Amino acid sequence: MNEFVVALGWFGLYAPVALGAIGSAWGCALGGSAAIGAMLDSDGGYGRFIGVSLMPSSQVIYGIVIMFSLQQSQVDAANGAALFGIGVLSGFTMLFTGIRQGEVLASAIHASKAKPEIFGISLAPAAVLEGFSVFALVFALVLAGSIPS
Amino acid sequence: MTSNPHQYISLVTSLPHLGRLFSLKELPISDFRLKQRLSMLEPQHAALLKEMVEVTAWAGVARYDQDAEVIRSANRIIADLKDYPDLQHLVGARMETRTLIAALRRRRNGQESAGDIDNWGMGRWCASIKSNWSDPAFGLGHFMPWLSEAYRLMQSGDHISMERLVLTEVVRQLDHYGTMHDFDFEAVGIYVLRWVIVERWTRYNEADARDRLEALISLALKGPDADISLPKPQGFFSDTFSPLERSSS
Repeated sequence: MNEFVVALGWFGLYAPVALGAIGSAWGCALGGSAAIGAMLDSDGGYGRFIGVSLMPSSQVIYGIVIMFSLQQSQVDAANGAALFGIGVLSGFTMLFTGIRQGEVLASAIHASKAKPEIFGISLAPAAVLEGFSVFALVFALVLAGSIPS
Repeated sequence: MTSNPHQYISLVTSLPHLGRLFSLKELPISDFRLKQRLSMLEPQHAALLKEMVEVTAWAGVARYDQDAEVIRSANRIIADLKDYPDLQHLVGARMETRTLIAALRRRRNGQESAGDIDNWGMGRWCASIKSNWSDPAFGLGHFMPWLSEAYRLMQSGDHISMERLVLTEVVRQLDHYGTMHDFDFEAVGIYVLRWVIVERWTRYNEADARDRLEALISLALKGPDADISLPKPQGFFSDTFSPLERSSS
């Protein structure tokens, strides 16, 4: 039983990075596809399209920070379940927010191409999703401090 | 068959916004450029789109001699679109709208009953058209108010306003389904159907319209064998022919 909990602990330790990376890759691919399409139909402003399409990159960075905060000198039965719970749930948050951020960024790029004046405000939903990722990061850090070592 | 999300995001964002139908002076994207962008479509989707445009645009329908052939073609395309129910509904709605306009024209031309409506009309309203032939809006005016207006415009001979009204109704149908799709094949299909309408409207020109009207009047007076040269469609998606050009369907 202890070995199983230890295995879960290691799983939870790496989950924020792995799931965050998947979320970032997926989100950037969605946003990047929209940016590439928008560049075909625009005579300028390429940089801003590519710039916003990279917004979902932050999820993998948050995942790395969470992994370091969860890192223990030893993963054992006492801390395995906590590492699993915090790591997996925060990882799924990064995965989901990364993908959804890519989707809203694609919509924002598409909409602002037709109406350039809404470019800034169209990024608000993506910024809100970024905020949810930050919530998950901050509270993962808070809880990481109470894991028995 | 599912849409590859990344491919369709690039395609949809590469298409310029079409704007409001009647306020456009020139096309946001040419026929050539549109075809170039649509090369990003999956081959099966490109074939489906071509079929769909052929049956909904007048340039495609014009090559059929009989209404029954158009109906057969529309039914086949609706069956082919089984994976895309919203496009099925759109093609169906377009054919129903066309049936209603054809019924208005037939009645204006003196037809005393709907006759064999299964051979010249399709969709949900055929029974209502048949049983309410003498009603200005075929008994459908309470939930399709535009039909009464279309009747009034047709009676007054205001063809341009009639055309605007019909196109407004078709664009409303497209916008309704367009709000449900952002980056998929349906979104591309709806864009192209909208583009066909915009392209036709922007090509309208008062002088050309007058010449065309005179040619059509001559054609009507001389009979079906008259040698009248009307403009031909300029491209695959170009919808040169107006529904106003047809007298009975």
